[in-house]
Amino acid sequence: MKLASLRKLVGLQLTRDRRGALSSSFGIAIGIASLVFFVALGLGVGRVVREKIFPVDTSLIDVVPSQLSIGLFGGKLDQDAVDRLAALPGVKHAYRKMNVRVPAVSFYDGDFFGRRLRMGIEVLAVGVDPDFVKADVQLGDFSDPGVGKPIPVVAASRLIEIYNKSFAPARSLPQLSATMLVGFSFPVDWNRSFVAAVAPGPVTSSQLQVVGVSDRGLLAGVTVPLDVAVRLNKSANADAATFTGVALQASSPSDVPAIVAAVKEMGLRVDDQERRMSENAGAAVAITTSAMALLSALICLLAAFNIAHALSAAVRARERELGVMRAVGASRTDIFTLVLAEAVVLGVLGGLVGTLTAVLAASGVDMLAARVLPEFPFKPDTFFLVPAWLPLLGVGLGLLAAIAGAWFPARRASRVDPARVLAGQGA
Amino acid sequence: MISVDGVSRGYDDGARGVVRVLEGVKLEIAAGEFVAIVGRSGSGKSTLLHVLGGLDSGFTGDVTVAGTKLAKLSDGALSRFRNECVGFVFQSFHLVQGLSALENVLLPAAFSAGEGGGEAQAREALTRVGLGEKAARLPGQLSGGERQRVAIARALFNRPKVLLCDEPTGNLDAQTADEVIGLFKTLNAEGLTIVAVTHEDRLRQAATRVLTLHDGLLSLSPVRGEGRGEG
Repeated sequence: MKLASLRKLVGLQLTRDRRGALSSSFGIAIGIASLVFFVALGLGVGRVVREKIFPVDTSLIDVVPSQLSIGLFGGKLDQDAVDRLAALPGVKHAYRKMNVRVPAVSFYDGDFFGRRLRMGIEVLAVGVDPDFVKADVQLGDFSDPGVGKPIPVVAASRLIEIYNKSFAPARSLPQLSATMLVGFSFPVDWNRSFVAAVAPGPVTSSQLQVVGVSDRGLLAGVTVPLDVAVRLNKSANADAATFTGVALQASSPSDVPAIVAAVKEMGLRVDDQERRMSENAGAAVAITTSAMALLSALICLLAAFNIAHALSAAVRARERELGVMRAVGASRTDIFTLVLAEAVVLGVLGGLVGTLTAVLAASGVDMLAARVLPEFPFKPDTFFLVPAWLPLLGVGLGLLAAIAGAWFPARRASRVDPARVLAGQGA
Repeated sequence: MISVDGVSRGYDDGARGVVRVLEGVKLEIAAGEFVAIVGRSGSGKSTLLHVLGGLDSGFTGDVTVAGTKLAKLSDGALSRFRNECVGFVFQSFHLVQGLSALENVLLPAAFSAGEGGGEAQAREALTRVGLGEKAARLPGQLSGGERQRVAIARALFNRPKVLLCDEPTGNLDAQTADEVIGLFKTLNAEGLTIVAVTHEDRLRQAATRVLTLHDGLLSLSPVRGEGRGEG
């Protein structure tokens, strides 16, 4: 059958049965719109969880000492264990971490980015190998400057988000950005605490200066160079020989399972709490999205039934016309193609309209959320993610639903017996 | 042009079993003949016409039309045969609503394997049936006679070797029927082979030969050209 003729006959039928065509296309559009909308929402929220709330590096493994000491190595995380971890196949780098095992508080009384601030706060600190956060350091060296000099610290980017969205608004404090924060200094008293018992040694004071903001920074505290942590622990007679943890950078994410197994064989533990939280949150989003997508798929299925019903009725009503086409030379394949092509047009139209509707609805929801929802940590600019494949999926599924619905009516149309339908009378 | 040898056709009628409509029909029609097939309702006239036109392939026996043996042809080959070798004219015109007269005439071109005839050929066919000026009209804007002429033009579009007509004047008033019969005579005079199933006396008289079907059996009218002579 010639394409131009096919186009003409399909156009003719859809124009003649505008109401049926609109109804069929509308059903598909509704199904596709809800599908694209919820998939985009799931992808968008998933991205926020993955990139902002729990930014997990899939090739990074956090190793911590075992809580139970068994076997030759006893789960102790000393330099020897670190060397053995670094030598594991697939490990690119081993970054040591050591908590500052001395309590600390900060009393701040002064100008805080244009506002007067007077506050005391408990400070947690962890020392890390400088290379671990090197990429995020924007000011000077991230190394131990020695006693009496300001200690460089890296702040957690998530901490700034939480500060900006909940702490600052509640206390009328200014909003901060990473750039603003770099260079900011504040005092710390080591071996002092509001809540914990302190060692018998003296209280020492120093200045902490923010030199960078990193996703790898300690969330509820500050990240200092490892040598600073060792020095402070030694000066307070705390453990300065064993590490709190080691972050292993795998050469590729595919190496991770083997490394994890080897770590466990060494009697050490993998701290995958963040990863699990990320996975759990991701799974919750995925399950919710899947449920909504399933509902949308059901709507598409109903739309396919609607198309099947509408086309069956149309085929019955057009039996004579189809018979005439057979009489003038249409083959069964031609008739099948003709009816299927009508459904293809409905499916593509429904898919396009549905996808467009979903994108517009997503923009509307984003605008509404920006206006109505209060600020909260990790509130995204958009709750939706529409990758290039999603509109294609929408149109493709619309097409698929239409073809599925049209298949049997098209077969029935192709089997219309022209001798039977043309024998009768009628206009 | 047409050779039918021992053709039988039956239908499964459920509880009544197989009903025989045609029974061992034999028939020869030469090129350029105008044959009328008559008989009571249900005698198998339309079935025979459908068999000759490749619309009904459920028969036994041999049928050859314009050199094509129809038995056991595939659907595609039968469709090509209908498109290229025969033209159908039905009692109820069977024009496609929503298509203009010209587009209706062009309908066979949609299913032609090759380039086939184009718009010029369709206009020529319409002019031949006297409707050149009404090419843009929709079926609803044409009279019954005009609709049947459009149907004839559609049947002539691909320059068929045989025109098969099923009660072509059955839905027309006497004057319009005469016009259509006159058109058939002209086409036949130009060499077109015509086979018409009819109850219509005037059409029967216009035919060069009349065949009578009775309970699926064919008997031949002995008179060749009786209609011409009287018409």
